[in-house]
Amino acid sequence: PFFVNRGGLPVDEPTWERMWRHVGRIHPEGERVAQRIRGAADLPKIPIPSVPVFQPSTPIPERLEAVQRYIRELQYNHTGTQFFEIKKSRPLTGLMDLAKEMTKEALPIKCLEAVILGIYLTNNMTTLDRFPISFKSHFSGNYFRHIVLGVNFGGRYGALGISRREELMYKAPVFRTLSELIFDFEEAYRRCWHTLKKVKLGHCVSHDPHSVEQIEWKRSILDLDKLTREDFRKELERHARDMRLKIGKGTGPPSPTKDRKKDVSSPQRGQASPHRRNSRGDRRPSGEKKPADSKAMPDLNGYQIRV
Amino acid sequence: MDPGAGARKERPKPREPAARLEKAKQRSAQQELKQRQRAEIYALNRVMTELEQQQFDSFCKQMQESGE
Repeated sequence: PFFVNRGGLPVDEPTWERMWRHVGRIHPEGERVAQRIRGAADLPKIPIPSVPVFQPSTPIPERLEAVQRYIRELQYNHTGTQFFEIKKSRPLTGLMDLAKEMTKEALPIKCLEAVILGIYLTNNMTTLDRFPISFKSHFSGNYFRHIVLGVNFGGRYGALGISRREELMYKAPVFRTLSELIFDFEEAYRRCWHTLKKVKLGHCVSHDPHSVEQIEWKRSILDLDKLTREDFRKELERHARDMRLKIGKGTGPPSPTKDRKKDVSSPQRGQASPHRRNSRGDRRPSGEKKPADSKAMPDLNGYQIRV
Repeated sequence: MDPGAGARKERPKPREPAARLEKAKQRSAQQELKQRQRAEIYALNRVMTELEQQQFDSFCKQMQESGE
């Protein structure tokens, strides 16, 4: 299960108790974990990380490193309860308020929260384009979803984010094409025995923290099962071209695609993409169960390599 | 002179300092609770991170031993 704290902070009692019950169920030491921690007088004091501030002369790549260090310092949230509720359909201004709250409360976060934080911390970098990159992968009979914040600076692509896996988060802005970046992620997935199934690319996010625009999360949806390698690459480059040309909603013709009839990638939409009712937080990390994979995987009491 | 002319209408008194004090106390209690929860969350996160790492390492070892 995947729990989300919807009541703000401090965490309300039902949510708090649910968090500890969940831990008791999944940790081999069961309730002893909670007994050791809850009410303990000698818990370490965790300093609140300082939000990075930059001199105007600090190069963008350095700033990105600092932003990533900050995100990393918050830590990946392994507790099983997400502390900040993210509704992807909220206007950017609301999400930026939430990001500000994240910096004040300074709690462990998961990938979607890191994307929102990444946007917030790079809003003043106007020469940096940011766009969400969502992944759907398959491992041992289950599907997993992950998201990072793609960045483009001076024609070089990279990413910010957080993940259980080191290779599925930060990428320095050194990739010459969007394809190279995505292929790098694909290879990283392969190294942790995941098969990448889908990539969803969003459009560039506004730098205005008070914008009432919604983030467009899936301007292009690329199904790797339906695309040849070359077509996958072409679609990625088409998306990159669209971002460069800053083709907005209904503001210009999309780049031509090879074969729209197949609908292997998301067509340019004149309207906003339909938004899910539920936030990412409502979805289980292994949302869709499939019949057991034909490839035998060692069974470590059903351990799943989550990303 | 009209005896009523100099009399001011009695204004309702602003919220008593006691109410403000109470609110400040509640805010302080909430802040303390948040700090306490934060400390426990990070202590818990440390335990769960270690568990995840152990399980991942074991899995990788098994994969290597089984020759992938």
